[in-house]
Order: sequence, then C-alpha cells, then structure tokens
Amino acid sequence: MNISAIAMFFVFVALTLAITWWAALRTHTRTDFYAAGKTIGGLQNGLAIAGDFLSAATFLGITALVYVAGMDAMLFVLGGTLGWAVILLMVAERLRNLGTYTFSDVAAFRLERGSVRTMSALGSLAVAIPYLLAQMVGAGALIQILFGLPYAIAVVIVGVLMTLYVTFGGMIATTWVQTIKAVLLLTGGTIIGFGVMSMFQFDFASLVGAAVDAHAKGRAIMAPGVLFTDTITVISIGLSFVFGTAGLPHVLMRFFTVPDARQARRSVAYAIGFIGYFQSLIFIMGLGAIVYVSTNPEFLTADGSLIGGANMAAVHIAKVVGGDFFLGFISAVTFATILAVVSGLTLSAAAAVSHDLYANVFRHGRSDDATEVRIARITTLAIGLITMSLAMLLEGENVAVLALIALSIAAGVNFPVLFLSMYWSRFTTRGALAGGYVGLAVSLILVILGPTVWVSLLGFERAIFPYDYPTLFAMPANLIFAFLFSVTDKSARAAAEVERFETQWIQSEIGIVEQKV
Amino acid sequence: MLPQADRDILENADFHRLVALRRWVSWSLLLALLGLYLLFALLSVHFPAFLARPFFDDGIVPMGIFLGYAILALTFLFMLAYVWIANSVLEPLEKKIVVDLAIRTTDREHN
Repeated sequence: MNISAIAMFFVFVALTLAITWWAALRTHTRTDFYAAGKTIGGLQNGLAIAGDFLSAATFLGITALVYVAGMDAMLFVLGGTLGWAVILLMVAERLRNLGTYTFSDVAAFRLERGSVRTMSALGSLAVAIPYLLAQMVGAGALIQILFGLPYAIAVVIVGVLMTLYVTFGGMIATTWVQTIKAVLLLTGGTIIGFGVMSMFQFDFASLVGAAVDAHAKGRAIMAPGVLFTDTITVISIGLSFVFGTAGLPHVLMRFFTVPDARQARRSVAYAIGFIGYFQSLIFIMGLGAIVYVSTNPEFLTADGSLIGGANMAAVHIAKVVGGDFFLGFISAVTFATILAVVSGLTLSAAAAVSHDLYANVFRHGRSDDATEVRIARITTLAIGLITMSLAMLLEGENVAVLALIALSIAAGVNFPVLFLSMYWSRFTTRGALAGGYVGLAVSLILVILGPTVWVSLLGFERAIFPYDYPTLFAMPANLIFAFLFSVTDKSARAAAEVERFETQWIQSEIGIVEQKV
Repeated sequence: MLPQADRDILENADFHRLVALRRWVSWSLLLALLGLYLLFALLSVHFPAFLARPFFDDGIVPMGIFLGYAILALTFLFMLAYVWIANSVLEPLEKKIVVDLAIRTTDREHN
C-alpha cells in the first residue's frame, strides 16, 4: 500500500467534497443543476471537456495499447482527437444555440417531442449506463491494485462519492471536480512525458530505437497490423471515435454550461489543445514503459507479464520517473479521473430521466424547477445504487466490452439523429424513430453476436458476427432508415416539421433572435 | 407561417453569406481532416510497410508516427484557423444581421 497515494487521495476527496458543499449552496434551479447556471467560461469548460474525454480508459488503456502494440495505438490517438474536430465544426455552436440542457432538446426541436425525446433519452441511457459500469468495474480493479482495498469496497467508495457530487452539487460540482482532475492529469502526464524524454536527452528517435530494442516484437511494433489487420475493423474503430465522441451525452451536456455559442466554440478549441497534447504524451509514456518497465523485474510477475496487466503500464512508468511519491500522485490522479468521469456520466443519465422523460414526456414540459431537480436527485441516487449493484456482479468482466457498447451506440444512435435533426430539412419524426431504434438494435445485436461477447463472455466457440466493432454497420443502418422513412413520410405532421426547419436553421446559426434583438 | 423576424432574416443577404461561408469553412476543414484520417487508416491496413519505413533514410522513427503527429498538429492548426475565422468574420456578420433586424423591427413598429 502506497502511503503517499492514500494521503493524496484523501486530500483530493476532501477538496472535492468541500467544492460539492460550496456548489450545493449555489444550486437552486434546474439551470444550476443541469448546466451550472450557464456561467462556465470557455477555458474552464475546455478543461472540463478534456477531463470528460481523458478518462482512465484513455490514460491507462491507450498507454497500454502503445505498450503492447506500438503503432496500432495511433489510430486511437488520431480518432480520439479528430472526434473533437467534428464537434467543433459541426455540433458545438448549433447545440448551444438550439438546446437547453440535453442533446434531446436539439433532436426534438422541431419534431414530435414525446416520442423523439423518449428515443433520445433511451439512447443517452444506453450510452451512459454501460460507460458508467465500465468505469466502475475498472475503478474497482484499479483501486484493488493501487490501494489494496477489496473490489466491493472500492466500488462502494466510487459509487457513494459520485452520488454525493451529483446529488448535492449538480453540474457546478461536477464541472469543478472535472476541471481539477484535468489539471492534475495534464500535470502528471507532462511530468511523465518530460521525465521519459529527459532520459533520452529529448531525442525522440533514441526513445523509439530503445523501445524497438526492448520489445519482444522488435521492429514490428513500429508497423501497423499487430492488433488490427482488416479494413472493416479499422474503419469501425475510426467511425466509433470520430462520430461516437459527438454522441456521448455527458460530453454534449457540457456545451449547455457556457453562456453562448462563442464560449462553446472556445471550449472545444481549448479541449482539442489539451486532448491533442495529452494524446501525444501518451505515445511517449507507452514507449517509455516498453523501455523501462518491460525490462525491470520489479514490475513483472513470475511469468514475465506486467504486474496488474498492461493497463498498469502508465502507473509503473510514473514510478520509474518520480519514485514512490510520484507513483502516489499518479495513483490518486487516476482515481480522481474515474470519480470525475463517473460523475459526468451520472449527471447525464439523471438528466435523461428527469429532464427528458419526466419533465418533457410525462409532464409535457409543465414541471417546476424544484420538482425537476428533486426528480434528478432521486434519479442520481437510484443510478448510484443500480450501478454499484451491477458493478459488484460484473467483477472481473472485460470492461472494454462495456465501453465498446457505449461508444458504438453513441455513434450508431445518437450522432446520426443529432446530425440529421440539425442539418437535413426533410428529416421527420418517423425517420428519427426508425433510424434511432434500428441503430440501437443493430449496435446491441452485433455487439452481442460479436467475438467479445459471444465467444469471450458467453463461451461459444465461434462468433456469429465476426467483428468486435459494429459501428460500420449500425451507423449506415441508422442513416438509411432515417432517410427512407423521412422521404416517404407524406403526413401533415411531416410537412409541418419540414416547414419548421427554417426557424430552427436561423436559430442554429445566430441564436435566439428575439433575445438578441 | 414563419414569424416576421425569421422572414426578415431570410431576406437578408448577409445571412445567406454567413450560412455559405460557415458551411464552406467547416466542411472543407472537416473533409480534409477526415480524408487524412481515412488515408492513414487505409494505409495501415493495405500498405503497412509504407507506414513502417523510416521517415529519414538513416533514421528509426517510422513514417506512421511522423504522419500521425503531423495529422495531430494539423488538426490543432485547422481548429485554430476555424476559431479565428469564426471570431473575426462570422461573428461580426452575425452581429450585423441582428442589428439590421433590430432596425427593421423598430422601423416597422414606428410605421
């Protein structure tokens, strides 16, 4: 057990609980609860967005990918950054101009609110819950290794803290927790990156050369194809990252925390800078781990594999760079990363239930602030209890499966619906429902029939669907069904929805005209 | 029936300029970046040897890492370019459209 890690963990928890108490005093309305009063500036929101995206899966997972497969990780690094270009150029400003609290506000702007909101809320929950479980199951395993705590206690700690942050502090607390964590993670990554580079006199070629010499696969890690060899898998990974990011509900919710479209634009620009910078450090961390971790018996088990698995490569290289104290810092930052990301996800799931389903579908937009916030808090509590229970049951499961389901659904369900609702005038409710539900069904069915679930989890000999990633099939299926069901919709409702597009188009370009005039 | 304010905006030539300019800038930048990413992905599957060869004849850093970092840098530069265009060209145009609309609305109320 690392004493410095435990000390820093308690400092972080104490600080974030103090922030939650401070935020609770400022959370009165639903705008405060869901959108931090729409007062967050571009820089802070950029940090919070970067924090949302730079989860433990990115920090630990992609470093592990570099450690294991070298160049193949570049597809993830590039995809993860390009997804933000899609958000900046296509989504951010329009989302801020059209929506209030959730992306369903935009999807249902000119369509039939009840049915489209229900579908969007289900899409949000279908993304948020597995993503949340992936983080919690991963957190349990990670804390077991980092702090020596039993899995169940680790899950309860994460669950209780995230429930406290969101229930009492809402988006204000979530944003501040995310901002602090992003600063800590960027600082930690910078120290590791510079530490590794300093060992090679800041000569990147020497680092690459040493990694090639140290890795069992030798020169092969500097060529693509160690992990991914077929076009369909590679294109699906690309689509999942590039368009799935723009369909993650907790990420999209962040654009409603800023006062206007200009700050939304600034947020993404800052976020791209932070994310791109961190992603480029990840490659250095991974290569450094190949050189210094894979060759050091201190980090290896008796059979020669890495202690804690490949996912711990980033943590071990931290110890190489800064000793036990810095290892403690990185361990606490990793835990902070998980806490911050699960808080954002919990809030987005709670908003899907309280704002989309309760307030707009069941109460037809007639609920008051206090009731809606109370429902959101109760939902947060319920989500906390449900995910803690499920995470207990899922101990030892492959967290990549859960994260994969989330990103695939985001790309296969949420993004096409959001994109078509903002850009295609002939998009109708019928098209949105057909496309959304088909995308959801195709994503889920293909993930279940694929090798990761069908073979690894369920134990069958051969997968019915041969690919791990279904996005190349789910996303086009959504788009095709949305197109066909929209263009063949000759109803009066469809005509009215098409007519309302011009008003939506104007608002998406310049904001709410009446307010500005 | 569109609200009067919306009809006024649709009649404003600056609004159509704004829409066309934003569409041109954002789609050009996005398609360029997505094209590069697709190219990288296809190269990694069909021509892995190309990405594996050293960028410099006597070097060790492979073309793939060099291209990957170049695409990352280009993404950041393109995003900076978009933000600059949005702040310096698109936003003033938006403000002008709103001012024009306010003037038209005031005139209509006075008449």
